[in-house]
Formats: sequence, C-alpha cells, structure tokens
Amino acid sequence: MTRSAHHAPPLLLRPFLAALLALFWTGAALAQSDWIRPATPLPVDEALQLDVAEGQDGQRVLTWEIADGYYLYRDYLSARTDDGTELTLETPPGIAKDDPTFGTVEVYFDTAQATLPAASGPVTITYQGCQDGGICYPPVTETLAAQDVDSAPADTLSLANDQSGLDGLQARGGPLLVLAGFLGFGLLLAFTPCVFPMFPILAGLLAGQGETLTARRGAVLSGIYVVAMASAFGLLGIAAAWSGQNLQMVLQSPAAIWTVAAMFVVLALSMFGLFELGLPAALTNRLSAVGATRRGTPVGAAALGFTSALIVGPCVTAPLAGALLYIARTGDIALGAAALFALGLGQGIPLLIAGTFGARYLPRAGGWMDGVKRVFGFVFLGMAIWLAGRLLDGPVILALWAALLVAAGVFAGAMDLLPVDTGPMRRMLKSGGVLSLLAGVIMALGAALGGSDPLRPLAPLLARAASDDAQGDLSFTSVTDITALDAALNGAADGPALIYVTADWCVTCRVIDRNVWPDPGVKAALDGVTLIAADLSTFDTDGQAMLDRLDAVGPPTMVFLDRDRREAPGTRIVGDASATRVVSAAEDLR
Amino acid sequence: MTMMTRRTLLIGGLATAGTVGAGALLLPGGTTSAQELTIDDVLFDPVNPVLGNPEGDVTIVEFFDYQCPYCKSNHPALTETVATDGNVRLVMKDWPIFGAPSIRASQLALGAADVDAYEAASNALMATQGRLTEKAVERTLKDAGLDVEAIDSAYRAERGKWDGLMARNGNQAAQLGLRGTPAFIVGTTIYAGAMSGDDLKQAIAQARG
Repeated sequence: MTRSAHHAPPLLLRPFLAALLALFWTGAALAQSDWIRPATPLPVDEALQLDVAEGQDGQRVLTWEIADGYYLYRDYLSARTDDGTELTLETPPGIAKDDPTFGTVEVYFDTAQATLPAASGPVTITYQGCQDGGICYPPVTETLAAQDVDSAPADTLSLANDQSGLDGLQARGGPLLVLAGFLGFGLLLAFTPCVFPMFPILAGLLAGQGETLTARRGAVLSGIYVVAMASAFGLLGIAAAWSGQNLQMVLQSPAAIWTVAAMFVVLALSMFGLFELGLPAALTNRLSAVGATRRGTPVGAAALGFTSALIVGPCVTAPLAGALLYIARTGDIALGAAALFALGLGQGIPLLIAGTFGARYLPRAGGWMDGVKRVFGFVFLGMAIWLAGRLLDGPVILALWAALLVAAGVFAGAMDLLPVDTGPMRRMLKSGGVLSLLAGVIMALGAALGGSDPLRPLAPLLARAASDDAQGDLSFTSVTDITALDAALNGAADGPALIYVTADWCVTCRVIDRNVWPDPGVKAALDGVTLIAADLSTFDTDGQAMLDRLDAVGPPTMVFLDRDRREAPGTRIVGDASATRVVSAAEDLR
Repeated sequence: MTMMTRRTLLIGGLATAGTVGAGALLLPGGTTSAQELTIDDVLFDPVNPVLGNPEGDVTIVEFFDYQCPYCKSNHPALTETVATDGNVRLVMKDWPIFGAPSIRASQLALGAADVDAYEAASNALMATQGRLTEKAVERTLKDAGLDVEAIDSAYRAERGKWDGLMARNGNQAAQLGLRGTPAFIVGTTIYAGAMSGDDLKQAIAQARG
C-alpha cells in the first residue's frame, strides 16, 4: 500500500466553518500540488487532462496536463476526421524513456502540447499513457466538435474546472478536517427545507410511543433515526462510487415513492388506533438489547431514518454534490462515504436534541395522548399526499389535500355543537377545525378549477384575470435529454445562457421557483440570457446523461454559460440559491 | 499496489440497504444492474485457457496486454509465484489496449491453445522486449519453436470464440471499473497495477483466509 500519511489538523474547532462555507460556494481553486496521492491509480481523465484552445489559422492547440507520476506516449497520439482521414499532429520531441521491457519510447511528463491542423467536421483525438511503474490506461478518445467558419465552438458547451470543496479540505487538513467540516455543513443544512419534513416524522415516531417515552428512550430512538439517516447518506456515496449513479436519484422512482407513501398511510392508521404496529417476537427480543421494549420501534426508527434521507428529503446540496463528485473522481470511497455520513450526522444533531429534550414535553397518557397521536396521524397522511404529489397531477393532489383538511376539521370538532359552558381550549380547537374545513373547501374548489398549487389553490381564477400582462415571468425552455438541450442551446440567440437542473420532486427547486425567479433583480439580471430548464422529473438514462454532460449531481444546479458557451469559473450554484447569488453569477457572464 | 474488495463492499452495501430497509420498505429491484457480472463469469470463463494448477484453490486473474511494459516486467514474478505455490489457477485475460500488434499477439497466443502451445506462446510474447509489430510477434513465436501458420489457422478456425472472449474481457474490465493493465484479481479482491512476488503471495494468503 502506498497511501501517504495524512496530517491531523492543527486545531479542530476554529471558526473555520464560515471560511469553509465561503470556499464551497465560490468553489475556489486550490493548488493541485497539495494533493495527497490516493492509493488507487487516478481515473484516466484526471491523470491526463486534455484542454483544447483555438490557435492561428483555424489550428487548434491541444494541451495535456499530466499528473505527477504519470506520462503520455508521443507515438500513441493521433487525430482523425469523421471520414477516417488521419491528421498529422505536430508534436515536440518527448523524453526518451528507456524501459527494459518497452525499449526506448518517447513520453511526456507534466505537460504535453500538440498542434492540430485546421479540419472540417468533428475530429477524434486518441491518446494513451501510463502511471509510471504501475498501470497503463486503455487509449482515450475524445471527439472535438466541428469548427465554425468564425471558429466559435457552436454546439458544445465547456464546463469550468472548479475543484469541489472536499478537495480543498482534504489538501489542507486531511480527513479529520473533512469530517469535521461536513459535520458542520450538515448542521447548517438542518435548517433548510430539506430537513423540515423530518421533524414531524420523528415527533410522530416518538408520540407513537405513548406513556413509555422517557428522555432516555427519546434519545435512543432519535439516535437510531439519525444514525440510520447518516448511514443512508454514507451508502449513497458507496453506491455512487460503484455504480456511477446517484442512488438517491434512482430512489425517486414511482415504485419507491408509492411504497413510502403507503408506509406513511399505515403509520397514520396506527396513530388513529386502528391497530398496533408490531413485529414478530423473535425480532423484538433480539432488538431489546438496543434499549427497546415491547414494540419493535427501533427498527421503525431505523427504517424511517433511512427513508427520510433518501426519499422524503431528496435535496442535492453543495456539500452533498461535492462529496459525490469527489468520490466519482478519485475513487476514494472511504473518505467520501465517511464525509457523507458526517453530513448526515450533522443534519441529525438538532433532531437528536429535539427528540431527547422534547420527549418530556409530550403529554404522558390518557385522552390528551390520543389527541396528539391523532394530530400526527393527520401529519403522516399529509406526508403521504406530499410524496404522492411528485407523481400525481396537481388537481388530484389538491383534491386529496381538501379531503385531508376537511377530515382534520371534522375530527377537531368543527361540526360538533358546543354547549354554552364550553372552556376556551375546546373553543380554540373548534375554531381551528372550522378553519381547516374552510381551507379544505377552498382547496376542493381549486381542484375543481384545475389548480395545482396548494399554497395558491385559486390561482386559475387569477390567471384568467391577469392573462393580459403575462410578460413579467421568466420563461425557461424545458428539456429532458441531451439532444433537446443542444438544440435549445443552438437555437438560442448568441449570448449567455443559464441551464437550470430541476425536477418537480426537488423540494429546494420549488423554493427557488417561488423566491428566486420572480425576484425583480433576478429578472433584470437574466434579461437576454437564454434560460433552459433541464427537467429531471422523470429520472431515466436521458436524465443521467444530461447530468453527466453538465458534471452535475442532481437538482437544483445552475450552470451559467457565457456567450462562447463556456461555464464561467466559480459561478455554478448547487443546492439552495438566493436571488443575490444568481444576480452576481449572471453579472459575471457579461 | 492497491487493494479494493469491491465485490464484498458492493454486496455488503446492498445487504445493509436491504436489512435496514426491510423494516418497512423494499428497495426497488432496478437498483442493481440487469447484466450483473458474477464472480464465476470473471474467474471461470470456460473459453479462457488456464495456467498453473487448473484444480487450484485460489484463482489469479490478470487483465493484461502483450505490449504493456508493467505486465511484462511483472510476469516473471507472477509465473514464479504460481509455480512455487502449486495450488493456484492462473487465468490470463487478454485485454489488448495498445493497438493492432497487441491484438495480433493475443489472437496468436489464443490460437496456440488449440494446438496445445498456449503457455509456450504466451510466455514467449511476455518475454519480448520493447514495442511489438505484427512481424515481431510472428518472429517471436517462430523463434520459440512454434508453427505460426498452424497457430494462425487454428485461430481463424475458431475466430468467433476467441474474438468473443477478447470482447468479453474488455466488457468485464469496464464493468469492474478496471483502469488499465495490469489489473489483478486474486480470489475476489481487485488489485490495480503491477504486483511484486511478495504482494502476490500476501494476496494469495489473504484469498485463502
């Protein structure tokens, strides 16, 4: 093994979080030389990085950045046009490498350059190299797009080569700093919409415990929930590394979502006391060592934690994307998965605190407890509808919300007559019930009108009234595969472009749709920018191909391209976005 | 030398997902790839000639190319370790990545298997110095006392079988995520890059548990 020793960070709990955060958001580049070489040979695109630049008279200059300890063969460089004609590459003499088993060959270390003559149509470049003393890569072929007459790269886009924050952390302080940093990021993420759904889930889980709930038990159950959630993130990293796919995205399949929605319905029914959730005695006994008692709730907590991370809150955030890309690029699964695990733990810390200390505030037993359980029953039904909202049409979902709100209102006593001497609490409850009933009726009305947004159920009415001055909103061209993406880029007028990776199941994207795009400053900044939405609502191989093309992990991701269709360095926005950041990225394009 | 127990890891990971998820949800079947590669596919390809002890309790697979410098410099250590151990199956998987001469070398070595000269042909080609040309490949085999024309017609007679094997090897290398040659699999552990005799002995001991 040749893994180098990592340095421990000098001081762990410095106020580095702010600095790290800045690093993440800006994607600041760090010196490549700080790299600790991973034990595995580098992926070939990292060992030998080809960069193409325009030269004089239609020539193109190919430059390879060659990683330390790797080399490129001069003799295996070749270029040919689409019809198979060999093009002569002009190359400087290499270094004679005298290898006993390979004879004398000319190779390049560190960097190599070749000049490609002007050619019409796409050109395919082939090159090959080795890790000195280790491994030889199969030949790499890259196809360069055809040159335009005015030599502008027309139908391709080129991405900025920003390092992810994980690289920077790793280079600076080794694995400990990476883990501490990710724990901190997780903690910050705990206060974003991605994590909010997890609070009612955990609260419902704890409420389901009834009278047996003590602070200790609350801590155990929340602990299990949080560890399961963190493990799901870690597993995500491993799955991403081995399959090259983002497990989280794969789990956004209808089957998985229906299963989980059904699970929430079952949980809700058990909250209404229809039946007690139990597990076979053998399993329960084995689990009692963990601190469980009669019921198999630790398993439930683990299952819920796992599900929550992958299906309920599928947010791609900057740290998550950074860690996944890092794993994909370096193959350093251990560190990547550990970083994601730490991220999950960080996200779970507030949940753990809430679960432990909140436990004592949950009512003990009796009629009140049943009331609380009923509330969570409705919350779980709400979760089920919210999940189903990723698959069903807007009006159907609105109708389901209406039904839920009406039922909740009736359960809260909206239709019951109160005697004159009723106390204030019951009156408040009835008021709440009536409000819920009212909201339910409005939603039902909205559903009948064909509305789809539960927050603006009557929007169809407004839209009819305001259809005259519809010029206000930004309009995105929606694409679902690479061909359409290219077509949208090519069809657009010359000028900068923004590719917004989104999906209807992406919670953060909805927040962006509501808060960022309607912002007047954003509208002004994006004036004249071609807006393309890469829609991953139905996630399939076409979607994956688009992600690969954009070197993105998932929605929400914004890729800003200048007028030459090159991504401006440091402008990419992954995860939660604010209007200010979008404006400043858009200004960088001009 | 690098070690990854990819398969163990992958299986372990999925098993974890299965058990954790089993409480309430099932992972959709679509998460594992449809053409999942089995260990037997890689270690016991019926077409690939076997060197060493065919009944051995540990299998070493090497993905290699007859022009790859580190495959060749590594080869004496490999053959010596296999011979000394006496209980190792050696499966040399042709994965020609250095162009036409490499493909020609693999074709002739595999063709030699049908005239019982696989080991002689393979060893002669592995012992060559420097880069090869198609002429140099044929000369090497002739110098080793082999009948190149007989070998060539043996290859041509079974062209589909041998070309299929090489295509399969390339696909397996891609599916296993191998980055280049040489790549070793000892038991079920994948090692990227050249291995010394000691590395190999240690890997064999580990495969035996």
